[in-house]
Amino acid sequence: MRITNNMLSNNMLDYMSNNLNRMSKYQNQLATGKKIQVPSDDPIVALRALKLRTDVSEIEQYQRNASDAQSWTDITETTLSNMSDVLQRTRELVVKGASDSNTIGDRQNICDELKQLKAQMVQISNTTYAGRYVFSGYSTDKPLVNEDGTFAVDVANSEAINYEIGIGDSININVAGGDLLNSGGAAISGQSGQVFKDFDAIISAMGASGNAATISGLIKNVDDDMNNLSRVRSGVGAISNRIEMTMNRLDSDNLNYTKLMSENEDVDMAEAIMNLQSEESVYKASLSGGAKVIQTTLIDFLR
Amino acid sequence: MGQSFFGLNIAIRGLYTSQKGLDSVNHNLANANTPGYSRQQIAIVAARPTLMNDGTGMMGTGSDVTGIERVRDEYLDSKYWNENIAYGEWDIKKTLLSGVEITFNEPSDTGFSTVTQDFYSALQELSKDPNSQADRVLVREKAVTFTKYFKNIASHLESQQSDANSNIKAKVDEVNSFAMQIQQLNKQIYTSELDGSTANDLRDQRTLLTDKLSKIVDIKTNEVTMGKLANGKDDKHLLITIGGKALVDHFGVSKLSTTSRDKKLNEEDIANIYQVGWADGNKLILRGGELKGYIEVRDGNGGGNSSPDYNGIPYYLNKINEFVRTFAKAFNEGYTDTKGNAVEGHADGYDTKGDTGIRFFTMTGADGNPLTNDKFLKGATDPAAIAQSYSKITAKNFSISAEILKDPGTISVSDAVGQTGNVNNLKALIGQRYDSHMFSAGAPEDYIKSIIATLGIDSQQASNLSSSQETMVKQVDIQRMSVSGVSIDEEMTNLIKFQHSYEASAKVIQTMSDIYDTLINRLGV
Repeated sequence: MRITNNMLSNNMLDYMSNNLNRMSKYQNQLATGKKIQVPSDDPIVALRALKLRTDVSEIEQYQRNASDAQSWTDITETTLSNMSDVLQRTRELVVKGASDSNTIGDRQNICDELKQLKAQMVQISNTTYAGRYVFSGYSTDKPLVNEDGTFAVDVANSEAINYEIGIGDSININVAGGDLLNSGGAAISGQSGQVFKDFDAIISAMGASGNAATISGLIKNVDDDMNNLSRVRSGVGAISNRIEMTMNRLDSDNLNYTKLMSENEDVDMAEAIMNLQSEESVYKASLSGGAKVIQTTLIDFLR
Repeated sequence: MGQSFFGLNIAIRGLYTSQKGLDSVNHNLANANTPGYSRQQIAIVAARPTLMNDGTGMMGTGSDVTGIERVRDEYLDSKYWNENIAYGEWDIKKTLLSGVEITFNEPSDTGFSTVTQDFYSALQELSKDPNSQADRVLVREKAVTFTKYFKNIASHLESQQSDANSNIKAKVDEVNSFAMQIQQLNKQIYTSELDGSTANDLRDQRTLLTDKLSKIVDIKTNEVTMGKLANGKDDKHLLITIGGKALVDHFGVSKLSTTSRDKKLNEEDIANIYQVGWADGNKLILRGGELKGYIEVRDGNGGGNSSPDYNGIPYYLNKINEFVRTFAKAFNEGYTDTKGNAVEGHADGYDTKGDTGIRFFTMTGADGNPLTNDKFLKGATDPAAIAQSYSKITAKNFSISAEILKDPGTISVSDAVGQTGNVNNLKALIGQRYDSHMFSAGAPEDYIKSIIATLGIDSQQASNLSSSQETMVKQVDIQRMSVSGVSIDEEMTNLIKFQHSYEASAKVIQTMSDIYDTLINRLGV
């Protein structure tokens, strides 16, 4: 095939351009650290990248949710523990007050302490977390009980606050006021829950005639209240465990998905550098070879 | 006995031949870098011998240059034009689709998936603390970013469509200009060749113009023989056709023209789109070339409503318009899922003041401000009329409603009045994200992913076809150059050749002169 000098020059320009194209591609990869810049570089990788990024972001959101759920549950657990202490003390006082050896003065003292315990119970029932009343169900802006122990707001037991800690996986983090203070029944505004009814009964029994039989009969009520509280506490404990397990799982999921995401779209730096180097040497070779070839013509040799 | 001065004649003929050879080499060297130039060779024949009527036979009379021919393979030219047509089309499509890809900007940290994720994250944060003013403001701001993303894409796509439109007009003008120039050259070549010679340089220019023309439109060229000329040669006319109709026919030119469309082809189109056709009113059918590439990307809606069957800019505009409409309607109004359960929408929820029926997404009105619920729905209450309002939303006017913009407290998260901790409605809204039946392609994010996938694959296809065509075009061009290109080495050798033959002829003249001198001056004084 007949080759002209111009063809040699044109070919050299073409090859140089191709080499520069390839070098530019590897340089891009090195500079951005990503295999693809636009979807057309590799549509499959691009699509997977989109999916994995979403997955990782979602997991991070679930981690935040789980952490918030953990905080709420911690507060609840502490509160319930305090309640347990109060009921325990109440039972002690009731047992003491049931004894016939008490004078009217003794019973009066017990009564005073009981009133304090009731007030403490009211206060505990109105615990807040970040400005929200923890036991008031959906009415987080209203306190659960009034000073006298009656419910200030209606709270149905179906008013569950759920946090999402996985796809389609919600966890119920709150305890409804009625569940806690009304032996599992609903909280009805204006009425007292079982716990406060018991308190009122004990206080009036202690303060009035001081009938030992009445007072001993009320010990069972306090026991029932304590059992109810235990039930609620174990429920909250289970939730806390579940949150902890979920958080561990989310941590390892985050690691795995991030790894997948990186494997999919990130370029192996060592490989990219190697490619760039080899392209560079090819480029140099093509330049030096081309330079020698395009310079010489017959004119150089004619006298 | 031969003529006395016969030898001189032969030598002079030889001299002239060598001179013409040198001139031709000179011309070639001067045009070594001229685009489209084909090297020229002189055709040397031995001159007509004379009959010596003394029985010694025919005597040679020197050499003659019968013509200067250009060395050109016309078959390679037509092959080049064919490949160039496809190259032009795919090269343009590659460039334009690349622009669309950059507009969508995925995968990246600022693309659709990030914007959507941020929006839903804000909703999640709000669901954990619905009373928090800060979280509500966050939701509003993320929603604004979400709507602005689509507006941004729509604006860019429209401006790309507008650019393609202007380029189409420029290309049509270019085609017409080339056609006119070819017509002029036709005239000049025809008149120059009437005496039987070939107008080499003019033909080169004409071929070069045809090369450029072939990239823009799918031309077919033919030199048609229309009988015989007076000197016995064929009467050839050059005919260039596009889609069967003649663009240039010997001395005649039919131009292309652009007229503004008064009726939009696609509803997403910008105004003043040019319709390309023949100036005499006929419909133009293009099967390749840059012009076809531009038109298909500018008008292509995947074959819908008689638009070109290509996924061009209107296709993508249509897709994002469909997305915002369906998404806004599902988010605002809720829907019935495949199991027949009713999924709540934003309008079903209650806000902090206990109001309901608030739409989260509406559109901007003529003044550029978001519409309120009333202005958007125009008082419609039955589902069909409400659906009508949503068909007016486009990616360009998609926005949050004026109520939400003014007061984030109207974000309706609760499904009952007066319960500040109730986020059941918001949960339903968040759950819509994973509903795989909202679109035929699946959940909202799947829909956008499928658009990006289509775009990526189309763009990759255009890019691959463009590079393979480029290789083919270059290949044919190399073959052309191999035949017609000027080789400096070759020309220099020819230069030496003709120089020597010139010197030889000159030497002969010298010798003959001496002989005549002897003959005239020395013999028989």
